[in-house]
Amino acid sequence: MTRMIERQRHIMDFTLAALLRRKGKNGALLSVYTLLVFILASILFFTHALKHEAALVLNEAPEIIVQRTMTGRYQTIPVAWSDRIRQINGVISVHPRLWGYKYDKDFLANYTMMVPAGNPPEPGSIDIGSGISRMRGANRGDIIAFAGHDGQPRSFTIRNIFDSESQLVTSDLILLSEKDYRDFSGIPEDQSTDLALQVRNPREYATIAEKISRMYPDSRPIVRTEIQRTYDALFGWRSGLMIVIFAAVALAFVIFAWDKATGLSAEEQKEIGILKAVGWETSDIMLMKFWEGSIISLTAFLLGTILAYAHVFFTSAALFAPVIKGWSTLYPTFRLTPFIDFGQVATLFFLTVVPYTVTTIIPSWRAATIDPDTVMR
Amino acid sequence: MISARNISKVFNAGRPNEFTALHGVSLDVQLHETTVLKGPSGSGKTTLLSLIGCMARPTTGRIFLNEREITSLPERFLTEVRRSTFGFIFQQFNLIKGISALENVMAPAYPTGEKFSLLRRRAMETLEMFDLGKRADARIEWLSGGEAQRVAIARALIHNPAIIIADEPTTHLDTRLSHEFMDIMGDLKARGTTIILASHDPLVYGSDLVDRVVEMRDGQVVDGESAL
Amino acid sequence: MEFRRSTIYMGTTAILVLSLTGLMLHAKAKVRASAPLFARKTAVVRQLELTDLCLFTEATYTRHLSMTDLSTPFQDAPLSLEHFPSGGLVGPPPHLAQKP
Ligand SMILES: Nc1ncnc2c1ncn2[C@@H]1O[C@H](COP(=O)(O)OP(=O)(O)OP(=O)(O)O)[C@@H](O)[C@H]1O
Ligand SMILES: [Mg+2]
Repeated sequence: MTRMIERQRHIMDFTLAALLRRKGKNGALLSVYTLLVFILASILFFTHALKHEAALVLNEAPEIIVQRTMTGRYQTIPVAWSDRIRQINGVISVHPRLWGYKYDKDFLANYTMMVPAGNPPEPGSIDIGSGISRMRGANRGDIIAFAGHDGQPRSFTIRNIFDSESQLVTSDLILLSEKDYRDFSGIPEDQSTDLALQVRNPREYATIAEKISRMYPDSRPIVRTEIQRTYDALFGWRSGLMIVIFAAVALAFVIFAWDKATGLSAEEQKEIGILKAVGWETSDIMLMKFWEGSIISLTAFLLGTILAYAHVFFTSAALFAPVIKGWSTLYPTFRLTPFIDFGQVATLFFLTVVPYTVTTIIPSWRAATIDPDTVMR
Repeated sequence: MISARNISKVFNAGRPNEFTALHGVSLDVQLHETTVLKGPSGSGKTTLLSLIGCMARPTTGRIFLNEREITSLPERFLTEVRRSTFGFIFQQFNLIKGISALENVMAPAYPTGEKFSLLRRRAMETLEMFDLGKRADARIEWLSGGEAQRVAIARALIHNPAIIIADEPTTHLDTRLSHEFMDIMGDLKARGTTIILASHDPLVYGSDLVDRVVEMRDGQVVDGESAL
Repeated sequence: MEFRRSTIYMGTTAILVLSLTGLMLHAKAKVRASAPLFARKTAVVRQLELTDLCLFTEATYTRHLSMTDLSTPFQDAPLSLEHFPSGGLVGPPPHLAQKP
């Protein structure tokens, strides 16, 4: 037993010495591999945590939203529709929502203006998201003015600023009273942006949505499960950037594998011959190659994963921010809660360590089985 | 005693470049003696050495090591015999670059799983035998030709082999180092080690410590007379 | 005394494995501790009747991803040439991508 362990350690010693001998090449290999794992793991951590968070938070989103389209574009919806919809069996309540966007030329930012269902600010005052507060340096009690639909500026006093912990959903919000919003946006009294429904039983979503569509053919019901699934599919494998990144990762890996598979250098082959001549068996050579592959890939996996965790959950995915921010000037600086899919980490482990180790071992198979007498010539 | 019975070695059998390097060679090598294989280039000395040293198998014929047939052993046992019985010194030393002299000496013993501290001490002692204690941590590339040669000998001795096999050990050495090499072989012989050398260097086959010169030509033994 | 290379390697690996395990435990603890936080967040969502994450504020159809549709050409269609960077980042909502 101790002999077996000692044999492993001896061969590990030798392998490490061999790796250190080509410090530059193997260092570069390890760095690139670590970087690949880091990128992959960062993406996995980030998207999983975000999706999980979305699923949890949006669990409380309105059960059915009814919108209206005209000539293929969104229209305000007559408030009167809510009365007929409320008649549908299974609908508990219908609430007209008032909301929309406001582009702020001075800050090149888009805001979401909204009349909250409960506890709206009194006319003349607003609640704002912490993103807006941070961007404009606006604090409670400050006065902000926006130009309304008629071009006339209207000023509001900031009543409240949202806690930054809810940034992921409230960062760009401006809440105001219904009276102010109708005046500001020009939505007539008998219209609203859309309708939010409460339903008795989730199993009735589909039937109710269908009934609404039949009742108002130009309406468009969106069910909560669809909202949630939207965020499940967020950053999916099909989305553009992911394809590019994974293509790059795959390509880099193929290059590695190619480099390995095209065989050992003459020097390495000679070395294997020497080792066999002085008393190593084929299995000892294979063991050495196994360690060579697993030392590099295991270290890359561990380093890459640890760095990715720190990156995503301690620095809020700082490196991804420029990509995800895109053109938006208002970007939440949220701290993600570290929801980890351990299965994902295990998959990452198997995908990084196993193929690499195998590609290291396989090409050495032939060299390992050569007759040791070749070194005599 | 090592006995080769009617062994032949055919390279690239069945192919157009088929070549028979040994033709039915029979040879007995006495233990504790020093035997030199001598002959022109291409006469099959290296081939014969590698067969005796369990590095390769003969195409036909059998080899016995102390009455034990080694020709038909499976690879694992052959390696085991090679490791425990033979120490090899190669023409170009064949040391492994990039690692220290000490590690080169230890390397053959790695697969045995010998305790590190023990193995290290043995390797160190072997190096010290050749005044190389101070150079133990030096990389192979940094060693002088003579030092490298002694490291190669030390490596061959790590398993305390009963038989030392050296193929053209003096080809790349100057006269002084060649003499030094033969002196070391003399010490080993004095300790009871069997030595088998292949060489066409008169300094080797003419040396006092040689008991027997086996003359080879075209893959056959022409003269196996005792040197005495 | 100098350490063996394998000792150094195994030590380093052990430290890395421990760090990773530590981080995983950190994640578990954080998740457990975040229950009240999520209670507050969901309360906000319920109260304001929110439907989407505020991830991309650059365009209306990226701000409210779940509200997008296939019927407004050159803006929301999954196959429309993308104008905003975030459009290349997110896939279309499944209920739109899937054929009825
Ligand atoms: N692997 C091989 N394939 C084909 N031919 C080989 C092989 N190895 C050796 N030979 C041939 O066998 C013959 C004997 O070779 P060997 O190396 O035994 O000669 P040698 O007596 O050691 O010669 P030298 O003094 O030059 O070292 C040579 O003609 C050589 O070309
Ligand atoms: Mg030769």
